[in-house]
Amino acid sequence: MGEQPTGGGAPEIFIEARDLTRQFDEGRIQALGGVSFTIRTGEFVAVIGPSGSGKTTLLQILGALDVPTSGEIRFRGQSLRAQRDLSRFRARTIGFIFQSFHLLPTLTALENVQVPMFEMAWPSSERRRRATELLEAVGLGARLNHRPAKLSGGERQRVAVARSLANEPQLLLADEPTGNLDSASAQRIMELLGDLYQRRGMSLIVVTHNPAVAACAGRTLQMLDGRIVADTVNPGGTP
Amino acid sequence: MSFLTLVFKNLLRRPTRSLLTTTGIALGIAAVVALSSIAWGFQRSWEQAYTARGTDLVITKVTSRSPLPAPFSESLKADLLKLPHVQSVSGLLSDMISVEDAPTVLVFGWERNSFLWGHLKLVTGRWPSDDAEKSVVIGAVAAEMLKKSVGDTLHIEEDDFRVCGIFDSTALVENGTVIMALRQMQRVMESEGKVNFFNLRLAAGTTDAEVEGLRQTIKNRYPGFNAFTGGEVAQNNTGIQAAKAMSWATSLIALVVGAVGVMNTMLMSVFERTHEIGILLAIGWRRSRIVRMIIYESTVLSFLGGIGGIALGFAAVRLLEATPWIRGKIEGEVSLLLFALALGIALGLGILGGLYPAYRGSRLHPSEALRQE
Repeated sequence: MGEQPTGGGAPEIFIEARDLTRQFDEGRIQALGGVSFTIRTGEFVAVIGPSGSGKTTLLQILGALDVPTSGEIRFRGQSLRAQRDLSRFRARTIGFIFQSFHLLPTLTALENVQVPMFEMAWPSSERRRRATELLEAVGLGARLNHRPAKLSGGERQRVAVARSLANEPQLLLADEPTGNLDSASAQRIMELLGDLYQRRGMSLIVVTHNPAVAACAGRTLQMLDGRIVADTVNPGGTP
Repeated sequence: MSFLTLVFKNLLRRPTRSLLTTTGIALGIAAVVALSSIAWGFQRSWEQAYTARGTDLVITKVTSRSPLPAPFSESLKADLLKLPHVQSVSGLLSDMISVEDAPTVLVFGWERNSFLWGHLKLVTGRWPSDDAEKSVVIGAVAAEMLKKSVGDTLHIEEDDFRVCGIFDSTALVENGTVIMALRQMQRVMESEGKVNFFNLRLAAGTTDAEVEGLRQTIKNRYPGFNAFTGGEVAQNNTGIQAAKAMSWATSLIALVVGAVGVMNTMLMSVFERTHEIGILLAIGWRRSRIVRMIIYESTVLSFLGGIGGIALGFAAVRLLEATPWIRGKIEGEVSLLLFALALGIALGLGILGGLYPAYRGSRLHPSEALRQE
């Protein structure tokens, strides 16, 4: 686990995006129209904007699930285009959280958290131990053997948070993580995310509609029609 | 949780479909097992017949593909007896003949007082006592098939024969035959002075190399003749070859149907799980892991189907063997080799049937897969 150095000096640049565009349908749809920004290690960034403004596309490109039509993205100075196997990069670097949780319905909470770990060379007992620890960290130590159907929405999303941390990623990407939750559960998830990312020295990028969620972040990128129209620091949020 | 646990849980999500696919494979494998078992058993039974007779070499005229070799003069016998290692020579004449109600029965004419008779056990009656006597002995299965007992008359070709005895052979195939004295058979077939096989018994302690040398000598000295060991005769028997070809052809069809079934199931399962595969890719699975998951799933299905099919196939053979009108006519071979072969075929089917679906699954574009609900 890469603990972040707590000494002085500005944190290093983690992500550098230059002129990212993404077109669909042979250019008829322009989801991203030239987006550039940098994100430093340990930053918590909220991406806001109306539906169709390109938020999710941007998140998928950041998560190496999609590739830009043009432009370049670098992680710690390394271009993603140079990566031969994006799925390998994803496995070791990125954690994903979705709006509708996307847990596997036949698996228990404990098993769901272990699913990403098959890519690591850990023995079964180690996978189990790590998954238990992660579920305890999200406050579900008493719910290890429950299937998703037996859990509330907030609990499911906490399982998903634990799963996203399974392979000790450096970057956590969340797409509307509170979109399907009531406000109390939503607040708990955001507190949890805010706490976890900081303690683990990760960077966190959250796509959201919810101003209350965006307010938790230290910085907000506002998108409209595939472009970033505002990049603001939020003094009240987590750095 | 192990990876295999995940594989099993995936298959249990659609229990009916998994069960049906497994059943399909089981039926295919059962066909392979049952048919091969019977064909192999048939061949082994012929091999046993030669072993039981104590025949080391069989001499026939090289013929085109007729079921039984053509008759030739038995005068060769004196000559053969002079060859090194040859202890005794016994001529026989055989043909497939329609006897009364039975479509085809293998009828033998055996030299009386030859070593051929040694391994037969008389159940009731007596052996033919004279070359001139118009009598036959019949195997236990033939007796049942022809509904004859000792003292009855058996009509063969133009002639009536008396059943003077019923015998039992260690080789199942002989139990369905009718045997008479060679002279009588020659008269029935209008082949006086002719045989179509010589059975040679060699001196004890003859080495394999010496047997091989003897075969060459016979081939060189008597052009148009060939010498085989008992096992080779069984392998070259057109009936056995036909049975084997039938079993393989039927098996192949069953297997193709099984493989297509597995592929269909796995393709459906991949298409259904497009979104889930997108998620697995998003939460950190590599493409190779998706391939492995799908191939494991199809292999588990076909492995279980294979085990079920082997059990079903052997059970079917046992059932056939016990069926009244088949009893005693077939003897399935139950061997570890057949077991391993069937299981190997089943596993091969699973891997083959899973390859294309796995390829399709691993080619899914993660962001597009995620967009599909």
